[in-house]
Amino acid sequence: MAVRKRVSVTRRRSVVRGGVAGGVVLVLAALTACSGGSDDKADAAAGAACEPASGKVSLDYWSWVPGMQKAVDVWNGENPDIQVKLKTTPSGNAGSYQNLSNALKAGKAPDLGQIEYDSLASFRLKGGLIDIAKCDGVEEAGSKFVDWTWSQVDFGAGGEDGVWAVPQDTGPMALFYRKDVFDKLGLAAPTTWEEYEAAARKIKAANKSQYITHFSQTDPNWFTGLLWQNKAPMFERNGDKWKVTVDRPESREVADYWQKLIDDKLVATDLQGFSPALYKSWNDGEVVTWISAAWGYSTIRDNAKATAGKWAVAPMPQWEKGQKQAGNWGGSTTAVLKDSQHPAEAAKFALWLNTDAKALEILNQEGGLYPAAKSGLELPALKEPVDFYGKQPIFDVFAQASGNVDTDFTWGPTMTDTYRFLSDGTAKATGGGSTLGDVLKDTDSQSTESLRKQSLDVTD
Amino acid sequence: MKTTRTPVAAAPRRHRTLAPFAFLAPFLIPFVLFTLVPVGYAFWQSLHKTERRGGTFGRAETVFAGFQQYADVMAEPFFVDSLIRVALFGLVQIPVMLALALTLALLLDSAVARLKRFFRLVYFVPYGIPGVVAALMWAFLYDPQLSPVVDLLRSAQVDVDLLGPDAILWSIGNVVTWTYTGYNMLIMYAALQAVPADLGEAARVDGAGAWTIALRIKVPVIRPALVLTGVFSLIGTFQLFTEPQVFRAISTSVTSTYTPNLAAYSLAAGDHYSEAAALSVLLAVATFALSFLFLRFTARRQG
Repeated sequence: MAVRKRVSVTRRRSVVRGGVAGGVVLVLAALTACSGGSDDKADAAAGAACEPASGKVSLDYWSWVPGMQKAVDVWNGENPDIQVKLKTTPSGNAGSYQNLSNALKAGKAPDLGQIEYDSLASFRLKGGLIDIAKCDGVEEAGSKFVDWTWSQVDFGAGGEDGVWAVPQDTGPMALFYRKDVFDKLGLAAPTTWEEYEAAARKIKAANKSQYITHFSQTDPNWFTGLLWQNKAPMFERNGDKWKVTVDRPESREVADYWQKLIDDKLVATDLQGFSPALYKSWNDGEVVTWISAAWGYSTIRDNAKATAGKWAVAPMPQWEKGQKQAGNWGGSTTAVLKDSQHPAEAAKFALWLNTDAKALEILNQEGGLYPAAKSGLELPALKEPVDFYGKQPIFDVFAQASGNVDTDFTWGPTMTDTYRFLSDGTAKATGGGSTLGDVLKDTDSQSTESLRKQSLDVTD
Repeated sequence: MKTTRTPVAAAPRRHRTLAPFAFLAPFLIPFVLFTLVPVGYAFWQSLHKTERRGGTFGRAETVFAGFQQYADVMAEPFFVDSLIRVALFGLVQIPVMLALALTLALLLDSAVARLKRFFRLVYFVPYGIPGVVAALMWAFLYDPQLSPVVDLLRSAQVDVDLLGPDAILWSIGNVVTWTYTGYNMLIMYAALQAVPADLGEAARVDGAGAWTIALRIKVPVIRPALVLTGVFSLIGTFQLFTEPQVFRAISTSVTSTYTPNLAAYSLAAGDHYSEAAALSVLLAVATFALSFLFLRFTARRQG
């Protein structure tokens, strides 16, 4: 233990020097208006000591959670010496990540930022994050969060590789279904994917214009959630070596299954996720299930008002009878960013925001977040029956799912690309030009190429 | 300001040489800052690539890579696909749009036209609507689930999928035509106003009808305006971005590399800044070369 600690201290020191040199180069480059010269952003640059500052501290924080300001106000009231200034930004891939990347490049990033789990590795790759493992209270906080979320922020290394963010919320997946439609056809909530397919056929046979669900091209992260359930991580990281594992037997099983549903026209392929057309189909009862995350309850509630009281929630169908596996779709972290002068205070705020009972309640009530903190799952609001879902206490299902999410899922450092390859490929597959199996094969080789282009050590 | 004032007293001759630049400054400074520098930066960036030292999360360095990014981009299958797509788009959409614009301009210019001001404004209004808004509006008109137009066609037993892989390019073409016809019409109409009235009178005296005057007198005289709109349209076509980007949200047929500009955007979003820069430079060069050829071609025809 002691030996390892000393080694890491010296490494950190050399890294700090590298960081300072890099900073100088960056400033010079910026001055000559031709920057980008040496993006020397060594990992862990400022995370070395994590000493609290003396005196008043002001922190900038970027987030797109609705109602976040209320939580920040509570913090600011209780902590006059650490004042947080919130900036509300567009959601991740809709602009925030681009803005954050640019701000990091310009050395003007905020102290704290909202980053989704799937983008954490890519921001670490850019040298945008600070290792907060040594900050007060961070190491002990690990056990306060749902297991898989902590393995996301410590990159599955159990603390050997730093802690790079604090988990905020999650998207454990379950099956939303129109109970009335299922009841009428004498169908129970499918417990296996086989039963789900049988239900799809029965629904289609009863009503030609009714589909069991839609297969969206623009939600590659939804498909990733399905892969996650079947323990088919897309990447493996071994120290500095990466391996792309998009195309593997487990993912093929998922792809072939959905390809069969597409071929037999059992799922709607002309509806994009979160589109007005999809909402109309929900309202009209033309699409009767959605395999989605905990946060999806408000998506249906707000956009399919005509179907109030008719939906119910059941656990995700399983690949083998009796299994209990859940996928995850979405969820964010609060990360301390490279340029922060006050990582200790920033980490303190991030921990409070995502574990404090009052904060969790605000984020759940105002922002609809499904907490990553174990204590958050016990919020009174998450125990109550929900009117829209026929007074079912639906969050019990998600709490169970949350514990059944595989902890070994590794995100690649170039997920933007991988998602793009998946969604472009899906366009071809739903158009009839190829199959989802081909999509996996192509995404696999394209992602390998994309890692190579980022000069990463990648093996096929 | 300072630079011009000092030489006044010292050397009047230098004052004369500097004065034009003072007048040009309002154009030159933004031009340099917002056009030359970004283009230069993109070119510089396109010649470099990222290398990593010390493992995955080690430090990244930008090193000179020559034209490697260009080779990489050109080897991508989407490169040729997207270029062919916009070329096909331009071959069909530009002639249709310009013919329409010319027809409208000549109609407005004809002696029998009534309510000229009103119609001029009506035709021009689509151009005043922001591109994204226009694309969104058309998206709703195309969407099979929501569109009253598609409903109407269906009730007439016409089954069309305006967002399907075969039709989507022309659905986009329709939006572009709708937006820019009025704009091009206005340029042509303005040129028509400058056609000397005696030309028309002389023709009429010689017994030419309205048709003949329009085609034999007016069109040849406003040829420079036609060439100008042609070049603008060509550039616009190769830079097609807004409409396909908006349609991505509702159609399953538009990929992230549907047009070259969309591809460059997607590459940059995936942190491949150098490759995106190389693609942008290639696109700029291709657009420039095509515009130049087009100008040469039309100039020779004129001579």
